[in-house]
Amino acid sequence: MSVNGAPAFHESLLEAISNAPGVSGGEEAVRAILAEYARDKVDSLEVDPMGSLVARIEPATRRGRSGRRNGARGSGAKKGPHVMLCAHMDEVGLMVTAVEKEGRLRFRRVGGIDPRILPGQVFRLGIEGTRAVVGALPPHLVPRTERDKVTAADDLYLDIGARSREEAEERVPVGSYAVFDTTYEAWGTTRKGKAFDDRAGCAVLASLIQRRPPVPVTAVWSVQEEVGLRGAAAAARRVQPDLAIVLEGTASGESPGAPPDEQYPYMGRGPALTVQDRSLMVHARLLDAIEDTARRHRVPTQWKRPGVGGTDAGRIAISGSGVPSAVVSVVCRYIHAPAAFLDVRDAQRAVTLVWHTLETLRKEWP
Amino acid sequence: MASNGDRSSTEWLRYITSLPGVPGHEEATARELMKAFRTVADRVERDRMGSVYAWIQGTGKAPRPRALLAAHMDKIGFLVRAVEPGGYLRLTEVGGFDSRTLPGKEVSIHSSPHMAGVFATRPPHLQKRGEADRPIPLEELYIDTGRPEREVRRKVPIGTMVTLRQSPVELLGDRLAAPGMDDRAGVVVMLRALELLRSKRPAWDVVAVATVEEEFGIVCLGARTAAENLRPDLGIAIDVSHGDMPGAREGDTVPLGSGPALSIGGNIHPLILEDLKRSARALSMPYRVEPCPTGSGTDAMDIQIASSGVPTAVIGIPCRYMHTGVETVEPRDVDRCAHLLAHYLSELSLEWRAVEVLK
Repeated sequence: MSVNGAPAFHESLLEAISNAPGVSGGEEAVRAILAEYARDKVDSLEVDPMGSLVARIEPATRRGRSGRRNGARGSGAKKGPHVMLCAHMDEVGLMVTAVEKEGRLRFRRVGGIDPRILPGQVFRLGIEGTRAVVGALPPHLVPRTERDKVTAADDLYLDIGARSREEAEERVPVGSYAVFDTTYEAWGTTRKGKAFDDRAGCAVLASLIQRRPPVPVTAVWSVQEEVGLRGAAAAARRVQPDLAIVLEGTASGESPGAPPDEQYPYMGRGPALTVQDRSLMVHARLLDAIEDTARRHRVPTQWKRPGVGGTDAGRIAISGSGVPSAVVSVVCRYIHAPAAFLDVRDAQRAVTLVWHTLETLRKEWP
Repeated sequence: MASNGDRSSTEWLRYITSLPGVPGHEEATARELMKAFRTVADRVERDRMGSVYAWIQGTGKAPRPRALLAAHMDKIGFLVRAVEPGGYLRLTEVGGFDSRTLPGKEVSIHSSPHMAGVFATRPPHLQKRGEADRPIPLEELYIDTGRPEREVRRKVPIGTMVTLRQSPVELLGDRLAAPGMDDRAGVVVMLRALELLRSKRPAWDVVAVATVEEEFGIVCLGARTAAENLRPDLGIAIDVSHGDMPGAREGDTVPLGSGPALSIGGNIHPLILEDLKRSARALSMPYRVEPCPTGSGTDAMDIQIASSGVPTAVIGIPCRYMHTGVETVEPRDVDRCAHLLAHYLSELSLEWRAVEVLK
């Protein structure tokens, strides 16, 4: 299927990987889904030493044949730059750090989670998905002096219903990961689910490899972005691309009453382009190529607010002798919270924009 | 355990907690409860305030004394207070939440057609320094439905009911967490008790009332009006009691799985309490006595002072995390409360009265 000359966004894959657990360091379930999906679409597929999934796919030849035979490196024909497309598989979550005598589980946060979203929340633990609740004192019992205080994450615990340490440990050993217990749903053009940061990018990337791309592409679904951009750092050294485009699910600024300069980017107004964030100065010429492409193909785009956040691109850009890098994001509301939103039209626009950008790069990148 | 109906307490809890019904908006729930009670009661009716009465006819000679059971069918929730530019909803609460348990939770908006939404949160990336150190009061929280403003304005008028959208969570030990255990668990106790009473007929007439507007706060409206209508000879409220959890003082809670919590205090007639304990012992059932020094905070408060005074008692179902989206009970406790209630009622003699004639 083709939309605006580009591959169609693969929504059912987004649903599957959004629902799957994959806290930083425990991305296996997400990786398995993506590997299964990619297997028959790419020329090579491997899991690197850190756990990132790395797929190589050669461009189609002029005759439209498989690139594997005719498109080998150094064959003479201009193939365009080798582009690394990267999206991280990991999500923020919790790790069980101790089991108390009464069967309650203590935890630490993995990645940036506001402690204020934890009380009253439901989690799924481990691959089995054992359910847990984070309780809260009933308002009837909260002392007056505590009402205006945020309960520190260290004072919270997961309740799986166990009555003893033994009963709890049998189901949920120390080191188990916990993810928000959220189910993917369609609400109009909005999609609600957990971990859109960055399963949105993972699904955009997966959608792009449904067809042989215009240039040689290495697709990297990276690990451990949320704990310091770690997986992509190692993968970039291994892949040694000419260029990199990172695909992200980034935070919308929309909020009633916020000043206009803080409202953007907006969900539903197209992919957000980064100029600069805390990890990266986006390569100006690469950004020009993306903007030109957007204009030519009438893909609406908007700017991500400069100076906010950081992505794998920050690490990829400084790997080896340097890699010109850019970031294309699907704007999501409520990332790092149980239920994030994205507009499914934005996901398609991101696929379309990146696909045509690869065409632009084949023609115009030296 | 023998049961005429085909649903276990767990199944009833799953079903009945899923029904909406903030105070004053119990209509849909009442209709479903009438269906449920018809499977176990001799007669089911609704009063003018909306409470559902399910009757079990006694075996004694008319006019028979009458026992009133009460569990409230309303659950805490919200009403839409304003629609903001962008289509975001501001809410007012009906019943007491701790707003610190709301950010990130999903809600059901009972518009026509229904809509879902979430309590919006600002991601850490965009927060200002120190922002996460301050809880967000309900006035500042808002709901995002993900739908265009025009659609929201058309479909969601001010006053639309909003409830937490959380399907029941099964925990270990058959424990079940869901919003609305307070007090749908009490409604399930009444259903199960009536089921038992069908085969173990009491001498008294028993009227189980699923009451309206307990959580509104001014008065337990449904309980008061039902007690005035029925003029019962005794009344028992079935409601949730705080389950054990860290941070609560000893004496304020009862452990989950420890059986019925029998309140003691001014709201409780000592003779009923003694008979309830006797029934528990006869059933070899564990129970706890829960001190309620300044009142039970249940329908029994208003039943006691209705009519010309009604002797009352309260049976509590241990429940953790009350007034959150994860109110947790152990279905075994629900079963025990039902058995206790059925045993007590079927043992009641026709002569029992709380009025002491001294001369």
